[in-house]
Amino acid sequence: MPDRLTYEELAALMKSGAGLTVDASEMESSPGSAFEEYGLDSLGLLGIVAALENRYGRPLPADADRCKTPGEFLDLVNTTLTGV
Amino acid sequence: MSNPAHRRSVITGIGVVAPNGTGTGAFWKQTQEGVSVLDRVTREGCENLPLRVAGEVRDFDPVASVEERYLVQTDRFTHYAMAAADLALDDARLGRADYEDTPFKVGVVTAAGSGGGEFGQRELERLWGQGPRFVGPYQSIAWFYAASTGQISIRGGFKGPCAVVASDEAGGLDALMHAARSVRGGTDALVVGAAEAPLAPYSVVCQLGYEDLSACDEPTRAYRPFTADACGFVPAEGGAMLVVEEETAARGRGARVRAEIAGHCATFTGAGRWEQSRQGLARAVEGALREAGCAPEEIDVVFADALGVPAADRAEAGALADALGAHGRRVPVTAPKTGIGRAYCGAPVLDVSAAVLAMEHGLIPPTPNVFEVCHDLDLVTVRARPAQLRTALVLSRGLMGSNSALVLRRPTDTPD
Repeated sequence: MPDRLTYEELAALMKSGAGLTVDASEMESSPGSAFEEYGLDSLGLLGIVAALENRYGRPLPADADRCKTPGEFLDLVNTTLTGV
Repeated sequence: MSNPAHRRSVITGIGVVAPNGTGTGAFWKQTQEGVSVLDRVTREGCENLPLRVAGEVRDFDPVASVEERYLVQTDRFTHYAMAAADLALDDARLGRADYEDTPFKVGVVTAAGSGGGEFGQRELERLWGQGPRFVGPYQSIAWFYAASTGQISIRGGFKGPCAVVASDEAGGLDALMHAARSVRGGTDALVVGAAEAPLAPYSVVCQLGYEDLSACDEPTRAYRPFTADACGFVPAEGGAMLVVEEETAARGRGARVRAEIAGHCATFTGAGRWEQSRQGLARAVEGALREAGCAPEEIDVVFADALGVPAADRAEAGALADALGAHGRRVPVTAPKTGIGRAYCGAPVLDVSAAVLAMEHGLIPPTPNVFEVCHDLDLVTVRARPAQLRTALVLSRGLMGSNSALVLRRPTDTPD
């Protein structure tokens, strides 16, 4: 079973996939802030979902790319990965 | 809104990203000195292709010019367009404070001949190398002809009419016409122009099929229009963006009016039919003069299309004689693009930029690398020629058969 996705990893994916520099600790301290506020659009999130699916070799739920906030997204990804 | 017929379009800002320099200062210095920057193609993956000579944009730092997100999400042609748009807006002193209450009064028009070939190639390599799941979602917008218009509009908050002219070289002039039409329709300002990035492997291979492409490997000999040595054209990257405004609105905010877009006309005579382009180009010139209310004798300088293909050069010289009469053989003609190459849709917008600068400086820039002219034209060669310039004619033809002509005038309040 893969490790849980962290805010650091999410920030790194936002950087490589969409060219956004985001402070992981800031994201972690306000997980309910919208992706939009960090400049991540729907295409950017779609790219992160695909990158994670490629990394883990398994699909994420169909609504993963509709998450509005980092907190919501991490919960969904980690629930899927750990089956909890 | 005022009577549409009275809503004149004027150029208030110019932003250039060209092979001979970024910004109008560097561009004009090199252009008026007749410096040629045509050189061997050095782009990765292009070194061993049969296209040897091109105009590469080398004095441009994308990291310093556009935000990182656009470096990742957009193609090089959009980086050039965004940087040129910033330069044009700075030049026009048109900032957010000027339009944040009226964002629907400001629009964007670009012309594009090929879209984002470099970005597209990278993603297609992932498609066939790793599979569809490895293609990034930004491919859906980055390759697209309309990408630069969209990104400039979103980034600047311009919510007025937005458009892209997907065409051959002449599309660069047609985009200006489109902007002028928007101004007549009620838009106060447009960011308009074209920038291209055709020097990536996939894009170059696509161009190898053009029989008019120069195969010459000597930078000083590869692009010599209007001479007996004419052997085709040299492609280039880059382009220019302009700020075009409704004249009263521009003057109302204290903008410097640099030139009026006085008339335009476009015709179509078919791909590669250069003999027929004589009639098409002549009709375009006549139409542009008519719209400008301008007699042939009033044209003080012509910025030629100058394809560098004997049949096309002959047709262009003939078109000038047909449309301008005896004045066609007397009027000074120049083609500064022989020093930088043809940046497809960006090429005529660079010519418009050079024409405005030429009128302001009272100096006709020369046609680099061209010496012995074999047509009945007064082509300005070797060094710039001082001249009082009030009206300029810019011509453009495309490989797919478009012909376009644009008349520019100095503002009437400009002292000589």
